[in-house]
Amino acid sequence: MTWHLTPSQLDAYARGRADDIAVMSAEAHLVHCPACRSALPADEAWLQASWAELLDVVDRPRRGPLEQVLTAAGVAEDKARLLAATPRLYRAWLAATVAVLVCALFAAHTVRGGALLFLYLAPVLPLAGVALAYGRRVDPAHAFTSTTPMGGQRLLFLRSLAVLVPAVALCAGAALLLPSFGPAWAPASWLLPSLTLVAASLALTRWIPLGASSALLTGGWMAALAGAELVRTWNTVHLFGPTAQLLWAVALAALLAARPLLRGVRA
Amino acid sequence: MTAAADRPDTAARTGDGTGGLVSARGLTKRYGLRSALAGIDLDIGPGVTGLLGRNGAGKTTLLRCLATDLDPGGGELEVLGSTPLTSAGRTRIRRGIGHLPQNPVLYPHFTAFSLVDYIAVLKELGGRRARHDEVRRVLDAVGLYARRHSRVRRLSGGMRQRLALACALLGEPRLLLLDEPTIGLDPEQRIRFRDLVSEFTRDRGAVLSTHQIEDVGALCSRVLVLDAGRLVFDGSPDELTGHARGRVWSAAKRPRDAATAWRGPDGRYRVLTPEAADPPADAGEAHPVEPTLEDGYLLFTAERA
Repeated sequence: MTWHLTPSQLDAYARGRADDIAVMSAEAHLVHCPACRSALPADEAWLQASWAELLDVVDRPRRGPLEQVLTAAGVAEDKARLLAATPRLYRAWLAATVAVLVCALFAAHTVRGGALLFLYLAPVLPLAGVALAYGRRVDPAHAFTSTTPMGGQRLLFLRSLAVLVPAVALCAGAALLLPSFGPAWAPASWLLPSLTLVAASLALTRWIPLGASSALLTGGWMAALAGAELVRTWNTVHLFGPTAQLLWAVALAALLAARPLLRGVRA
Repeated sequence: MTAAADRPDTAARTGDGTGGLVSARGLTKRYGLRSALAGIDLDIGPGVTGLLGRNGAGKTTLLRCLATDLDPGGGELEVLGSTPLTSAGRTRIRRGIGHLPQNPVLYPHFTAFSLVDYIAVLKELGGRRARHDEVRRVLDAVGLYARRHSRVRRLSGGMRQRLALACALLGEPRLLLLDEPTIGLDPEQRIRFRDLVSEFTRDRGAVLSTHQIEDVGALCSRVLVLDAGRLVFDGSPDELTGHARGRVWSAAKRPRDAATAWRGPDGRYRVLTPEAADPPADAGEAHPVEPTLEDGYLLFTAERA
């Protein structure tokens, strides 16, 4: 290198006072001239912080669409990571839920009294999703996640929420497409039974694994429907009637109030 | 050397100011009719404690109880001063341990960085920048920083094992619980693992369950041997080795009353005898050899077969 930047050129460059052409010229020179580079004043703390920031940008895991939506909706970055990283079975369940709802809607529009099929299925679809969201049998990394501070109850609730929200949204969307039947609130009559069954399945995890509790309640629900159909003295529609809605609401409130029960979750 | 069965009250062992990390009294665990842990009395302090035993001896069950993955069936257990029987106690324990389960399965579609970051979130390592710094630190510690952007499914078995170890090291836990950590590691990686654990446990504790007796000899200041859910040996590696002193022979033939014998590459038999005595009568030409930790362990387990 046969020439060097003058002290005034270096000073103007360092302070950001040089014009564009002088900056480009100085940078082209600095790349090849260690002497001029060492003459530039350097803020070590700023450099270190900048490198750390750069490294963080390079290393930061790419956020998927769901994580981006959750973050944009105000969910904390770490919670959004957890919610978006639910096991893959959850996605299979989501696809299955859509398929079941499409079938139920098809039946509702083509078969007389077919809307009942939707009412029978809607309460247990979120239950199945919750069962697939957490547990040794459905999460390949469960042995890892279960012994972290967030493992157990907190992760179970987070993942249940991640399943419950889309499940309820899907069922609500499908309910709006049902043909008119019963009173105006009839298409929403599945909601309280559904939420109550999910709350009950979570409460039962104090004693049995989540998968078993969900299976037990799904089985119990189906058995109740089948039993009512067989007996014929009691119409299954009563499970969704005004009195039943009140009972479902009381049961749900009791389960939510008994939340301390869930402290012992061993899902 | 002391057989743990002869010394039921092991409390004296950690009542010496070693800063007990684990305390168990009469710890039991059953799977149906089978007893996996049959009354374990145990205190563990800082340093590396090796856990040896045959398959099904109860090693993994004990580690899972310590890691709060399994509820103890009976007895008393305290890990890092908390009981795993309450939700609050479990959370406190989980904040202080690093657990590497046996045959860990990791999400294959995650990158190495995002997987460790995910576990870091579950470990409540708050603040994205600080968390990412910690992720970089542990990935660097296990030699996987250069592969941080690789998908887990593209990593070799040894790399996945190291990635799992990185997850266990997150947050500088006070107690590391390692279940068969060196499976799939090549010799160089095993040396690096030993160095890492040795450095880590200068002022902390680790329990290492393994079948790799060389790892125990190289790392552990204390060895526990489990057999059928019972603690049958509790002592130093030297004490376990000493159990075989005077009972290991190099012989021309395999004697009938040997506790264990196997043929070496030189065509001679390494013979472990039930008692320290003269050379086995029907072994042909035989001379005594220095016992190893493996000899001591094999004799201990053979005596209980």
